[in-house]
Amino acid sequence: MAEVLLSSRDLSIGYESALIEKSNFEIKEGDVIALLGPSGIGKTTLLRTIFGAVEPLEGSILSNIQRRGDLGFIPQRLGLIGNMSVASNVLNGVRVKRPWYQSLTLGLSSTAKEQVSTAISSLGLEDQSEQLVRTLSGGQQRRVATARTLAQNPKLILADEFLGELDEDNIELVLSSIKKMLEANNSAILMVEHHEDIAQKVANKIWRIENKTLIEQDVGDAFEEVSS
Amino acid sequence: MRKKIFITISMLLILISYLTFNDFKGDWALRNGGLDNLMTFFHESLWPPDWSVLQARAYPVCERDIGLFCSIAWTGMIETIKIAFVATVFGFIIALPISSLAASNLAPPLVSLIARTTLAGMRSLPSIIWAILFVVVVGFGPFAGVLAMTFYTIGYLGKLQFEAIEGIQNTPLEAHRAMGMNRLEIFIFVVIPESANNLISHMMFMFEYNVRHGTVIGLVGAGGIGWHISNYLKFLQYEKVLALLIVIFLTVVIIDLSSQFVRSFFNENNDSRNKSWFSVFLPANTVLSIKEE
Repeated sequence: MAEVLLSSRDLSIGYESALIEKSNFEIKEGDVIALLGPSGIGKTTLLRTIFGAVEPLEGSILSNIQRRGDLGFIPQRLGLIGNMSVASNVLNGVRVKRPWYQSLTLGLSSTAKEQVSTAISSLGLEDQSEQLVRTLSGGQQRRVATARTLAQNPKLILADEFLGELDEDNIELVLSSIKKMLEANNSAILMVEHHEDIAQKVANKIWRIENKTLIEQDVGDAFEEVSS
Repeated sequence: MRKKIFITISMLLILISYLTFNDFKGDWALRNGGLDNLMTFFHESLWPPDWSVLQARAYPVCERDIGLFCSIAWTGMIETIKIAFVATVFGFIIALPISSLAASNLAPPLVSLIARTTLAGMRSLPSIIWAILFVVVVGFGPFAGVLAMTFYTIGYLGKLQFEAIEGIQNTPLEAHRAMGMNRLEIFIFVVIPESANNLISHMMFMFEYNVRHGTVIGLVGAGGIGWHISNYLKFLQYEKVLALLIVIFLTVVIIDLSSQFVRSFFNENNDSRNKSWFSVFLPANTVLSIKEE
């Protein structure tokens, strides 16, 4: 029986006015949820409400994710540190899984280095590992953000249009890495997507926002057409 | 519409400046012949500079092969640079945590307000006033200079630093916060690397600034070349003062050139590596427009 990682009760979200009203949802272990809807309808706001950057207007979110580093986030603009190398950015993913006082000296640990190098090589970034992130292309930066999340190995990933700017081969590469991580860890992902075909291909649930309502739809098994 | 607003605001600014300027009651007749007075002062008292300041002093006895290294200009300038260097390093280290508390994107509003007020307080006293205070506390000499300049550096550099920190993008902060990093980790692993270029650039600027101001604080006895300038002024030896001022000018130009070189390594576009030497004297946009023509 899959454990519930996150659930909401009569949740209304938004800034001045509500974007989504009275929604009740659950995210369970192993869920791959694609969140669809036109721009400005509240998809990013929902993610930001889940990790606490935005206060709910009404209702509440109940989270069973208590351990530090068990929530991963890939923002639309990636949130990478341009002045740092690919490896240092990915190392930040490993850092949040350790107690904070250990994280200060983590760069020196061989286990951490190994975790970083595994994440980097699984996304084909070995040759760029020492390069500064700001010198990379948009697509490469997206892979770095994904590698950071892989190194973090969280229970729930919130991803905001993280496949944008990637070509087909790299979409396949990123999805298969994510799939491997989710399966190994029994984790879940809630991903904002604009492409219905990708959503159908990878998700076991699709959420749509229509008329301020969150509509849930089961669409079969997750990652049906993604190779491992 | 925008053009009209721009013209109206410009006209208003000119009018306000004119009215404000009119408020300064001055006897303009007194200024008659002012330029002549300056020329007389220049020819009779300042020119030519007395370069004996570059020769070894009679006492203490010079034990070096090159007399310049025992001269007042050299020892004074080196002491000023040392004061500026130590004060900049100390000021930078102390200002950094304070500026992280002052930055509104990192700290709660009340903490930010307290930290900003502290920095404003340290900045509102000019370095010469800090120098007077520390000369009273620790006596004449470079130690008072280091303390004075460190305090002023904290106030000034702290402001530049928190503005640089506030200028970084919110996305990396939000992403790492969501991932579970605490404030200290975010400061060390996100804020410092993200704003490193600006922080280093500001530190270099502060060093230049402190070298220039090191001459001023010397006037009140806080060590450095300013101490010698102050002595020559007392004895009306203006030719020597002019020689020392030229030495200071050349030192500042050299520091400016080297700081531009160092800063180019931290420039995101690496576009200032090959700037021509005269860009030190001219504003960047002037140089650019010359190149474009």
